[in-house]
Amino acid sequence: MKIIQQSHAGTLESGDVLIRIQPIDSHQVEIELESVVEKQFGDAIRRLIHDTLHKLSIEGVRVIVEDKGALDCVIRARVQAALIRATGTQLLDLNWGAL
Amino acid sequence: MNEEYIFCCVLKTEIMRWQQIANFLQQNNLNIDTDIEQFIVAFDEQQQLVACGGIAGRVLKCIAIEPHLRGQGLALRLLTTLLNQAFSLHRYELFIYTKPENEAMFTECGFHLLATVNGQVILLENSATRLKRYCQRLAQQRQDGRRIGGIVMNANPFTLGHRYLVQQACKECDWVHLFVVQENASEFPYEDRLDLIKAGVADLKNLTIHPGSDYLISRATFPSYFLKNQKIINHCHMALDLQLFRHDIAPALGINRRYVGTEPMCEVTAQYNREMAYWLTTAEVRAPQIELHEIERRQQAAQPISACRVRDLLAKKGPEAVKALVPESTYRYLWQHYAMSQPLVSSLAG
Repeated sequence: MKIIQQSHAGTLESGDVLIRIQPIDSHQVEIELESVVEKQFGDAIRRLIHDTLHKLSIEGVRVIVEDKGALDCVIRARVQAALIRATGTQLLDLNWGAL
Repeated sequence: MNEEYIFCCVLKTEIMRWQQIANFLQQNNLNIDTDIEQFIVAFDEQQQLVACGGIAGRVLKCIAIEPHLRGQGLALRLLTTLLNQAFSLHRYELFIYTKPENEAMFTECGFHLLATVNGQVILLENSATRLKRYCQRLAQQRQDGRRIGGIVMNANPFTLGHRYLVQQACKECDWVHLFVVQENASEFPYEDRLDLIKAGVADLKNLTIHPGSDYLISRATFPSYFLKNQKIINHCHMALDLQLFRHDIAPALGINRRYVGTEPMCEVTAQYNREMAYWLTTAEVRAPQIELHEIERRQQAAQPISACRVRDLLAKKGPEAVKALVPESTYRYLWQHYAMSQPLVSSLAG
């Protein structure tokens, strides 16, 4: 699915994560992660985001993540919210089951 | 810690609230920059203003928090709200100029340091990679050669003086990279200035024209709210701009010379050239040195040709008066531009 506009979701508060999504020219998924728990969970967070995007067949995006120690469920929710904002209701209509 | 704060947005049109913000900033030893469009402010349970942050285009400015409330996460909440507001205006690529002691606070919010002027100001952007990626794109236009020149030009409008500078640089270098300043604070809009530059140098083969970027620091949006006086502001502006040029832009393209016109008339610009020589060679900046080449300004009727002189004559006597000072392409443009505004002026007068 094509992302056509930038979008964001989340906050910078402790336990939350601020996600920004940008469309990019290639078919890649780029993740820029800044996390207060980079050393312990950095890789796990990246994997989670890749996973979430993959389930929704999203490619050609850059995901900028400012993590303040959010749990998996929070990260997933924020990424999905940002994606829905970036694609309009298309995402909801097609992929409700995958969310 | 569980204090309830109300955040709201204040527009420039809300005069009373705006004054309240100005007072709050004064108490924190800050002025209020005139280009701020709106503020996000926080009120406490007693309706007192405790924090604020301003948006001026894609620059966040005048961010202040009540001293006794610092270190309580209020900064993060203010920044989140401020960022959300900027994002909702579709401004995602943001910059911050602030005092060096605030670096930690902004780094916590996803901002990354681009350049520093010791003890005075730091410049940050909300991306770890944007500047790097911009330089990578630039590097794709790298050219071979031992002498690679760089010119940064506003050209408001493009004159025979500008033409002469570019011509000389192209003669002395294997390749020249010309950057056009993007600020639309000039009399002639950016797109037109760019077109005139392109038309005026079309015959020069060893030249690449680069459209403006966020990394040529605009004087128009440069903050002044926490810097003491104009001299310091100019110094800081120059220092940040030249650091980015020398540390990031020039290496991407292999630029080892920077060309500028000499400035016999204007002291501020002459000072600029002197400071430029410093920043392009100082060991303070960890990047290869760049030679500064000052080219004597081309003259006409024993006076240097400058955009300033052209604008002046244009305003007083119209396009014919500048025919000898500008290339054909600029002359034609001035006739269109000037002729178009003429009828409006006379209808206003009569």
